[in-house]
Amino acid sequence: MELQDEITISASRDKVYAALNDPEVLKQCIPGCEELIKHSDTELEAKVLLKIGPVKARFSGNVTLDPGNAPDGFSLKGEGNGGVAGFARGGADVELTEQGSQTVLRYTAKADIGGKLAQLGSRLVTSTSRKLASSFFKNFENLMESAEKA
Amino acid sequence: MNEMAPPKTERAAALKGLGTSRKRVEDARFTQGKGNYVDDIKMAGMLFGDFVRSPYAHARVKSIDTEKALAVPGVHAILTAADLEPLGLHWMPTLAGDKQMVLADGKVLFQGQEVAFVVADDRYAAADAVELVVVDYEELPVVVDPFKAQEEDAPVLREDIADQKEGAHGPRRHHNHIFTWEQGDKDATEAVISEADVVAEEMVYYHRTHPCPLETCGCVASMDKVNGKLTVWGTFQAPHAVRTVASLISGIAEHNIRIVSPDIGGGFGNKVGVYPGYICSIVASIVTGVPVKWVEDRMENLMATAFARDYWMKGRISATKDGRITGLWAHVTADHGAFDACADPTKFPAGFFNICTGSYDIPTAYLSVDGVYTNKAPGGVAYRCSFRVTEAAYLIERMIEILAIELDMDAAELRAKNFIKKEQFPYQSALGWEYDSGDYHTAWDKALKAVDYPGLRKQQAERLEAFKRGETRKLMGIGLTHFTEIVGAGPVKNCDILGLGMFDSCEIRIHPTGSAIARLGTISQGQGHATTFAQILATEIGIPADDITLEEGDTDTAPYGLGTYGSRSTPVAGAATAMAGRKIRAKAQMIAAYLLEVHDDDVEWDVDRFAVKGAPERFKTMKDIAFASYNQAIPGIEPGLEAVSYYDPPNMTYPFGAYICVLDIDVDSGEVDIRSFYALDDCGTRINPMIIEGQVHGGLTEALAIAMAQEITYDDLGNMKNATLMDFYLPTSWETPHYTTDHTETPSPHHPIGAKGVGESPNVGGVPCFSNAVHDAFKSFGLKQSHMPHDHWRIWKIAHDLGLHG
Repeated sequence: MELQDEITISASRDKVYAALNDPEVLKQCIPGCEELIKHSDTELEAKVLLKIGPVKARFSGNVTLDPGNAPDGFSLKGEGNGGVAGFARGGADVELTEQGSQTVLRYTAKADIGGKLAQLGSRLVTSTSRKLASSFFKNFENLMESAEKA
Repeated sequence: MNEMAPPKTERAAALKGLGTSRKRVEDARFTQGKGNYVDDIKMAGMLFGDFVRSPYAHARVKSIDTEKALAVPGVHAILTAADLEPLGLHWMPTLAGDKQMVLADGKVLFQGQEVAFVVADDRYAAADAVELVVVDYEELPVVVDPFKAQEEDAPVLREDIADQKEGAHGPRRHHNHIFTWEQGDKDATEAVISEADVVAEEMVYYHRTHPCPLETCGCVASMDKVNGKLTVWGTFQAPHAVRTVASLISGIAEHNIRIVSPDIGGGFGNKVGVYPGYICSIVASIVTGVPVKWVEDRMENLMATAFARDYWMKGRISATKDGRITGLWAHVTADHGAFDACADPTKFPAGFFNICTGSYDIPTAYLSVDGVYTNKAPGGVAYRCSFRVTEAAYLIERMIEILAIELDMDAAELRAKNFIKKEQFPYQSALGWEYDSGDYHTAWDKALKAVDYPGLRKQQAERLEAFKRGETRKLMGIGLTHFTEIVGAGPVKNCDILGLGMFDSCEIRIHPTGSAIARLGTISQGQGHATTFAQILATEIGIPADDITLEEGDTDTAPYGLGTYGSRSTPVAGAATAMAGRKIRAKAQMIAAYLLEVHDDDVEWDVDRFAVKGAPERFKTMKDIAFASYNQAIPGIEPGLEAVSYYDPPNMTYPFGAYICVLDIDVDSGEVDIRSFYALDDCGTRINPMIIEGQVHGGLTEALAIAMAQEITYDDLGNMKNATLMDFYLPTSWETPHYTTDHTETPSPHHPIGAKGVGESPNVGGVPCFSNAVHDAFKSFGLKQSHMPHDHWRIWKIAHDLGLHG
């Protein structure tokens, strides 16, 4: 499964980059995120409650960031385990481009899922993932804009 | 002095014997919700077992933590492989000579594999605990493609036998290779094909699917520790075999095991295998001292208990220019999944696939089959067919169609030209079978005439012209099939399962008032045995079918038999029933002669009585004889009227049929409209025409499902993608077309009443017929082979790839 999208955020690229690396910001933006612990600058641990079709499960997983390309972008890899619900793993490349006072965020994400999640939700997984990704960035956009206003 | 007897025909009709469309006696309870299925069994103190299953298709199991799960209220025990190992039950033998993990022993090999067994007060507590069992997996590379599985650097799936060069069926040439099975003459066949005028060659895939009975698999195991007796009620298609195998595996003496198959809600092969759920329930009952129930849910059934088919079949067929077939060469790559758990007679690792010369007189043939392990569920059962017979029928019926294209000859004519002729029976096939009887030309001509075949071809040609002129977007397809099955396994000399000979049995007890009970070694899963076997007996012993109770499935009371699958009940147990009936009649004759004060040879059988030869007004009915047998002292004859017969069939039976399907395809949407389906079946002597018609309707509908949309597929991670009825196609009345049934009657010469079996014919013949119709619609645009199932998308894709979308 592959997802691609771009959004424009009314904030500078440095601010966007910093926010994307701030566990507090991420926790507020990730749909269903219950816990996000930063173990180091590049390693995070997350607990997320997810509902895909008939499957509702608490996923716990690790996320590794690769900031090699900062602040033009970064990439991340993650994997999560939802017990009997199955498992998911994937990665994303995020590219940040300055456009005046705004920043254009483009992302390409890839994910593999397995277990009951893949069986029961297979026809829902792509649409749900798209929805989750878009609500993440919508939340992020809102948060950044209210921060700019404040 | 007796009163005058009513006429023979009237008395025969009253028996409701052979040939009567007697209503099914089972239906009163089934249609009123009064069936007694495994899940209806409730016992005091009964616990419920549920599996922790692997979400991974291939992974190492590093640890299993049951601590939190055990703390769930109502949870009594959690079994893992470590608990079963001291009992030697963490692995179990399969029916195919392989072994299978009962619970994951160090690694898992397919998604949905059983990892731990939670035993709790009810299935809700068990399900809660299943979620809390923490299993630490380390993912391993997955291989779901049987060809990739044979590559040199393919992951090693079966580490337990990685170094074994020899398997249950001969040498293994790769770590994921199971067996090679060869039949026929390789050199002669290759020579014939290389010299032939015309050769057709094609890879034909018969996709993986699943029997999907409405009732899933399950059991209730109850170990009575006081008297040492284990009783297991379960969805078993072969209860006696289960008892013997359970005794051999567990060491419990066979007389202390009672296996009961209650009502079964459809089997179709799915319930032949031995599953981890049975073993775990038995162990759990022994551990907890109370009965333990295990019943699969739908996902578990589709994911983990026996699948069917998954045969990649490469065929080469050669012919002379004028269409005389000279040779058939076939190679099969058989995907068996993680364990070889095929349910075939032991000497036949690819079942009776060597019936693949079909209805045709093919002088030279060669077949080889390679079994391969992949990270998919084990199984390979005969889903409404005799062992691998539907795969064989599909291959030959596709190859005939493709050969007809190569020869530019009508496929109906090509078939007729090559049929085994009536006078050639018993016919010795190039791949080793002796066909008992057949009259293919008569059946074929009747079928072609019934559908007005030339008229259909004319219509098709007109439609094609209209399509080319742009006046319609629909193409017409005519599907032809003439199939020959091999059923009724089988003669003990070459048919056994794990060493158990495949005879079957019937035991009859006549009551003093002239009614009877008969018990058989088979078990009905919806076939209507209680109706039809009573009819066989009614004709044999002159007691009305309505006065005969039929019982099957309880190993403490029924005589030993190998169960019901592969259309074997009528050919084998049906024969035993007739033979036991004849023993009853032989004793009845002696009793009648004594009562009539004449010599044994001076009485003759007359429908429902023995009468004095030449004096039909002097007779004793079976009712009279039954009463006398118990209550009158007859010199030299012991009291009672009972008989048992164990029947070892001298040969298999070979039912056949001619099917013709007409359909219309919308090339833009891929939708198919089945216009008509004509099914002529020849199953030898017809016991109950109404039940035959019902069987044909049911089998054709399953064939429709398989040919048109039903499949089990996996993604590259080994996720099984059809685990619910949303993604696994089961047709309802909405999708089911109208069927026209017909018959010819060519009795089996070796069966006591000439019957051959019919339950599986419509699946064996139906699948190629639907598929041939789809191919036929696109034939004039150059289509030779497109793999099943022919769902709307795939049909749209055929049209698209042939350039029909402009």
